[in-house]
Amino acid sequence: MSEVGTEAAYRRWLRWYPREFRREHADELLGVLLAETGPDDRGPRPVECLDLVRGGLSMRLRPRVPRSDSAGFAVVRLMYLAALVQCAVAVTVAGTAGAVRASMLAADPGFTAAQWPAQLADSVDPLVVSAGLGAIVLVWLAWCSGRGRRWARALFVVNFALTTYSLLHGLAGGSATYAPADLAAGTVLWLTELATLGVIVISEVRRLATLRSGPPVPVPDPALPLGAAGRAR
Amino acid sequence: MQEATFLILTALAAGSQHGYGVISDVLAISDGRVRLRAGTLYSALDRLRIDGLVDVDREEVVDSRLRRYYRLTAEGRRQLAVEADRARSNAATALSRLDLAGGASP
Repeated sequence: MSEVGTEAAYRRWLRWYPREFRREHADELLGVLLAETGPDDRGPRPVECLDLVRGGLSMRLRPRVPRSDSAGFAVVRLMYLAALVQCAVAVTVAGTAGAVRASMLAADPGFTAAQWPAQLADSVDPLVVSAGLGAIVLVWLAWCSGRGRRWARALFVVNFALTTYSLLHGLAGGSATYAPADLAAGTVLWLTELATLGVIVISEVRRLATLRSGPPVPVPDPALPLGAAGRAR
Repeated sequence: MQEATFLILTALAAGSQHGYGVISDVLAISDGRVRLRAGTLYSALDRLRIDGLVDVDREEVVDSRLRRYYRLTAEGRRQLAVEADRARSNAATALSRLDLAGGASP
């Protein structure tokens, strides 16, 4: 394969990277890839292609929050954890439906087996579906929050309010008696989201404090001669 | 800090370098043990730029292709120094204990 053909092939593999990255770095990255291509290579090497896929996915998925922003980093991680717990809630509710049915039949003489399908359609199925959708929404919020989109935090607060309502609604409906496992899973989710909310508050307080104290004083880089940093840009 | 990150920062500690220069330098520093792939390098550089440890120094066009040079920031220099100091301390401890074990063995 000619160099032009190899370059075109590498360009296709670069589509795994986000568009903004490609706009800024595609030519540069191609230069390095082609410099590494030997005369015996017939087109892109599989190991390079796999590395590009891994690099592209990593760039699309990982948070773009500096590690020095520990609270911001923790918010994103806790949101992903909340999504995982939300999945566990969906599985728990679906998996314990039989036990809930048995508890209801045993505890409530007025409840008949014939009423169960209606109960399933009215409360258990919507709960499983909403928990599954909630997990997807939380992953999305975590991803957006990792890209500095502040509205994701506001939406998370709304999500927390819904979780709190759902938990209280379940308690009022007797979940402590009929569905203790579901209640426990819901409580773990609520606590995880509460911790996330706490870290969001800390992060916002720090941000406001930084804004009030003005922009940070730039630290001179000892590697550069005086004024070179400005010229380099 | 991962070894690849440490080696990339070490490569940039002597002065700014472009991507291919970093790959070659890391290979030399590690005695041929660590061969960075282009995707891995640019993923690491992106992360290091977000963390404020590395920045773009300058750009030039060579053979009608853009070449970007990267440099360590003051924070990158500081973190590399901390990490190198930690590695030296750990290595010194390991070597002294190996000496101790060597002396004790028959």
